[in-house]
Amino acid sequence: MAQEPKDVLVRMHEDLQRALEKAPEDRRWVMVIDLRKCVGCHACTIACVAENKLPPGVVYRPVLEQERGTYPNVSRSFVPRPCMQCDNPPCTPVCPVTATYKNAEGIVVVDYEQCIGCRACLVACPYGARTSDFGYTYTEDLPVLEGAIVGRETSDDYEVAANYEYGKEWSRANHGSPIGNARKCHFCLHRIHEGELPACVSTCIGRATLYGDANDPDSVVAELINLPNVIRLKEELGTEPRVYYLV
Amino acid sequence: MAKNQEVKAASKGFNWKSLTKAEQSVIAIGAVAFILGIWGLYTRLFVGEREVGYGSYVVWGLWVSMYLFLAGVATGSYMIAVLEYLFNVPMFKGTGKAALWAGLVTMPAALASIGMDLGHMDRIVNVYLRPNFMSLLAQMVWGYTLFLLVVIVTLWFAFKRPSGAFFKVVLWIGFFMAIFLSGGVGALLGVNASRPYWSVGLLSVQFPIFAFASGVSLMLIVVGWFMHFNDEEQRYHLFRWLGWVAIALSLAKIYILWAYLSQAWYSQVPDVMVPFNEIIFGEYWWSFWIIQIAIGTVIPLVLHMIPKLAHNKFWAGAIGVMVLVGFAAARANIVFPAMSVEMLDGLPTAFFGPHLNIRYFPSVLEWSVTLGVIGGAILAFVLGAEFLAVFNKPKTEVK
Repeated sequence: MAQEPKDVLVRMHEDLQRALEKAPEDRRWVMVIDLRKCVGCHACTIACVAENKLPPGVVYRPVLEQERGTYPNVSRSFVPRPCMQCDNPPCTPVCPVTATYKNAEGIVVVDYEQCIGCRACLVACPYGARTSDFGYTYTEDLPVLEGAIVGRETSDDYEVAANYEYGKEWSRANHGSPIGNARKCHFCLHRIHEGELPACVSTCIGRATLYGDANDPDSVVAELINLPNVIRLKEELGTEPRVYYLV
Repeated sequence: MAKNQEVKAASKGFNWKSLTKAEQSVIAIGAVAFILGIWGLYTRLFVGEREVGYGSYVVWGLWVSMYLFLAGVATGSYMIAVLEYLFNVPMFKGTGKAALWAGLVTMPAALASIGMDLGHMDRIVNVYLRPNFMSLLAQMVWGYTLFLLVVIVTLWFAFKRPSGAFFKVVLWIGFFMAIFLSGGVGALLGVNASRPYWSVGLLSVQFPIFAFASGVSLMLIVVGWFMHFNDEEQRYHLFRWLGWVAIALSLAKIYILWAYLSQAWYSQVPDVMVPFNEIIFGEYWWSFWIIQIAIGTVIPLVLHMIPKLAHNKFWAGAIGVMVLVGFAAARANIVFPAMSVEMLDGLPTAFFGPHLNIRYFPSVLEWSVTLGVIGGAILAFVLGAEFLAVFNKPKTEVK
């Protein structure tokens, strides 16, 4: 009797555990997005906003909606766009203070405490994958209703509390970082190091976003990235993105 | 004795009545601009950056454009100063200090403008402590810092030891820095291969030429409105020379603009055509056709051709102002439209929020800050020039 195949989420968790046993420089984190499975539900975008407590105007993983053709020959596709974590990132050499760089695992990270907010990296990124944090909160325009169960003083608790990108505590009090900084997707490094998949991967209802260590030949992603129907965005620029799309 | 003391005291201090009508008028304009800028400067420094028009897709706006413009004026002014002190052009005798002072005033104004654009301006010290010299931005910060020191040293020599051999060495260093730094601001944009409209060799090449043209225009203002000459013949010769140089530079400017835009047009590459259309026909058409071309280029060119106006003190200064306004618009026309391109098809409509759009027009805050910075620079230039006596006013007039 044939064994039932494992859910891909289970497999990716196992891949993740194996990768975390290796030295950071031996891992090659990649993301594979199967555009044939993406239904454009934007759950990944929302999961990312919730996980990283992104304020208004900051987005790490929008889903681009593209329409082609004219009736009756039309099609619509959805292209989630995280940071490409390029192996030749144009955003890092332009930073005047080395606040953004590829870490040992090959993820392009931002040192919020070093960043001066010049936005040169936003200009340089060919994918528009960085946004600037201008210090908004979703709840700031809510009325203050003392004693009520709704109102700013209760509903903003979530936004006022710190987030934990890069494994550090980032409070938005007193306009401190990451307000004023460039921000970007970091493949949820803080989750990865705790053995959890990125929020967008866990949340994807169609199992369209896959993640893992491409250096591990047994991983899900290693099986996929060399298929003939794989593309990478703006590959002609030579940025060597680590995000692969199955089309 | 008492009379001498009176003259000395008057020449060192500030006396509104000792100012010429032109100086008083320009100070009044500078003061109004600065007052209009106080709200913006206060808001930006003590409230934050939220009320700006730029954002995450149109990343750089008016403040970056003004930085490019004012840095060009500063380096161009230095290029003018070397004509007197390094190349000993007799016609420019007596103008060098005013040019150097202009450079010393406009460079901090340029840095103030770009400083306002930083999300964390308090961390600018990081560029000195942990610089990434692969970044042109870091090179520029260091370059401008050194350039400012060189301008200060040059000005000191100009006042104290104008004939020293070391002065020439400083001037050569400053001259080369002025050329490379003026080109560097173009390269700052040009290195972004992701922005095809900028990423052409022509972009950085044209900036030193435009910087020199800015310096020439500023000198037209200085010579026309502020400078005193013992021999009015020198002013006339300067008008003629500056006029011819301005015409040559305007023609060069038109040619470069044609080369730049026609290259974009004939390429028909979409990422290049979007900014091209924005400039020529789109949202920024008025800035290009009315300010950059008509006010900044064609009208000054016509006025230069009319000797009666070109050699008139008021009109010569007015031509200088028009050309400078045209250059300011030209910088904006380089910066804004290039960022109105969708980096990926559908990106601007994929997620909505503040500062996530590709349409840009400077906000009231940005205009206010810019007025404040330029007003401050105007006040500093005229009042400082009065204090340092760089306009060569005869002492008898000071009384």
